[in-house]
Amino acid sequence: MSAFKVLIVDDEVDFLESLVRRLKRRMVDATGVTSGEAALKYLAAQPADVVVLDVKMPGMNGIDTLREIKKSHPQVEVILLTGHASVESGVEGLTLEAFDYLIKPVKLDELIERIMEAFDRRKVVGEISSAERDAG
Amino acid sequence: MNRPYANLSRRMTAMALLVALIPLNGLGLSLYYYFNYANNETLKEELRIRALNRASAIELFLAERTALLEVLAHSARLTQLSNEATLSRLLSVMNRRSWSFVDLGIIDAGGDHRAYVGPYLLKQQNYREAPWFQQAMLKGVYISDVFLGYRQVPHFVIAVKHGGDGQEWVLRATIDSDVFNRLVRTAQVGKTGDAYIVDKQGRLQTPSRLGGKVMDRAGVDLRAVPPGISVKERVNRHGDEVISAYAWLDHGDWLLVIDQNPKEMLGPLNLARNVELAVLGLASLFIIAAVLMLVRLFIRRLQANDAERAALDAQLAHSARLVSLGRMAAGVAHEINNPLAAVSELAGEVQDILVPEQAATLEEGDVIIDNLVRIQNQVERARGVTHRMLKFARRMEPHLESTDVNELLRETYSFVEKEALFNNVQVKLDLDPGLPLVQSDRAQLQQVLLNIINNALDAAGQGGWVRVNSKVEGSNLAVRVSDSGPGISRDLAERIFDPFFTTKEPGQGTGLGLSISHSIMQRLGGSLELESQAGMGAVFVIRLPNVAPEAP
Repeated sequence: MSAFKVLIVDDEVDFLESLVRRLKRRMVDATGVTSGEAALKYLAAQPADVVVLDVKMPGMNGIDTLREIKKSHPQVEVILLTGHASVESGVEGLTLEAFDYLIKPVKLDELIERIMEAFDRRKVVGEISSAERDAG
Repeated sequence: MNRPYANLSRRMTAMALLVALIPLNGLGLSLYYYFNYANNETLKEELRIRALNRASAIELFLAERTALLEVLAHSARLTQLSNEATLSRLLSVMNRRSWSFVDLGIIDAGGDHRAYVGPYLLKQQNYREAPWFQQAMLKGVYISDVFLGYRQVPHFVIAVKHGGDGQEWVLRATIDSDVFNRLVRTAQVGKTGDAYIVDKQGRLQTPSRLGGKVMDRAGVDLRAVPPGISVKERVNRHGDEVISAYAWLDHGDWLLVIDQNPKEMLGPLNLARNVELAVLGLASLFIIAAVLMLVRLFIRRLQANDAERAALDAQLAHSARLVSLGRMAAGVAHEINNPLAAVSELAGEVQDILVPEQAATLEEGDVIIDNLVRIQNQVERARGVTHRMLKFARRMEPHLESTDVNELLRETYSFVEKEALFNNVQVKLDLDPGLPLVQSDRAQLQQVLLNIINNALDAAGQGGWVRVNSKVEGSNLAVRVSDSGPGISRDLAERIFDPFFTTKEPGQGTGLGLSISHSIMQRLGGSLELESQAGMGAVFVIRLPNVAPEAP
């Protein structure tokens, strides 16, 4: 398994389950949850490095979930993945420091590439902040 | 030009021409007739005075001659005057002061010529039957009409009877016609003026310049001439219109006639009148030209405005259609992308599991592998479609940028400034200089502002006003557009934002302007509302969220 942990959040169960299994088969440590609330609960219990987040979900939507994640776990990188591309949500998502904004359907290899890039950034930021902590 | 414009053009032209030309021509024509009347009256008065003067002069001439002959007749005896040498001396003395007697004759009571001095051979004639002789014997003094007599030359005589001492005889003198005619002719004026004397039978007593020789008929209807002095417009026997002055001479048998062609006499006076008429004509032509030009200009302006308005409406309607189409496309793309993603993952997972070596062990395993690839290809194809749809929808999304609402209002007003000026609508921009910049779609916001301001200009109408005010209201920027128009009644107010609702004439508005503006403002996160009360003019409020633009 990979050295990093990925959390997939999507209300489409068929998509979610299949994606998680495929990632695991490619040795990516992935877990799936079906709502924003469940994602926050999961993150509160255990750490994750990258979150792949659907924007349009019943209940807490992707943007609100992103805002909450950035509040409680600022070092977690978030990739927004949605079927709907509206400029408002895109702009807002990037404003809230989402790592990227992808439109479904996306090829698995492409998604994994983006996840790796996100983790790379997460590592750099983490090292800088731990260096700062050490220096402090 | 199509029908309504042609009709409007005709109505405006007719109205303007009526308003301008009727009073002008009324004034001009009454002046014209007054000139005519005054000029004619002036001429008539002048003729009357001339007739009076001339008649007096002629009467004086005849009275002087008659008096001279009376003195002679009453102071001399028949025997003295029967001597032709004496008579001849008397004639030359009488003519010394002014030549006026042609001859003198003494006729006894029996009508025989007792003595005669003069150029004719009349000594042997008897005048017992001559009318002038009989009249003189009867009345004592008689001035004859012109007659031929024995000498067969037209002439007239003054005859005076001597009586009282038992002897009765008549002293007769012939007046020189040249002298007398000249006296009458002094009443002629100008090239066409005429003056002559007519007797009671209507025969000329002196020659008329236009009417003929002495003793011809003068063509004057004597019965219609009142006593004393009178002036009358008539047609002479040549068919010309003349003004005639009539004066009866003292002894009652002769009428002095002065004819004047008014055209000649009134020439200078009528020049003023004609100049007035020409000025009137020119002024009318000028007004007609000006009216035609102004109406054409106005109609052209109106057409241009209407065309602009129609284009704006069409553009609004078009962009509204595109926006709703974009929204639908985005919705459809989303609904398809989610199942598409699921299909892609599910098929991909089977591909992951079913590696080719494994598939080879299955019956028709190559078909399964092949179909999985095809499924992925079809997903890819559908993805191409939905992503194009999303791209299209994104183009229709508001394009947010840093917007200065005040500057946008000033720019929008500059688009309609000419129209406002043209319709005499006073527009006042009352903009809060402290208004912050906001994040909004400049172009779409401008469409709304233009639409609302245009409506306000229409509602205000000729001579009205429109006020545009901007300020911060809580978390919003508010732009208020108020007008002096009739306002919007309560039942209309509920429907004005409905699509296709319009109060304008068919063909003047699509009824989409307010409905589209309303939906644009909602999309921009703001609102468009009507605040007015009926009878007080409309107030439209445009609200925008006060969202600061991102720092660049």
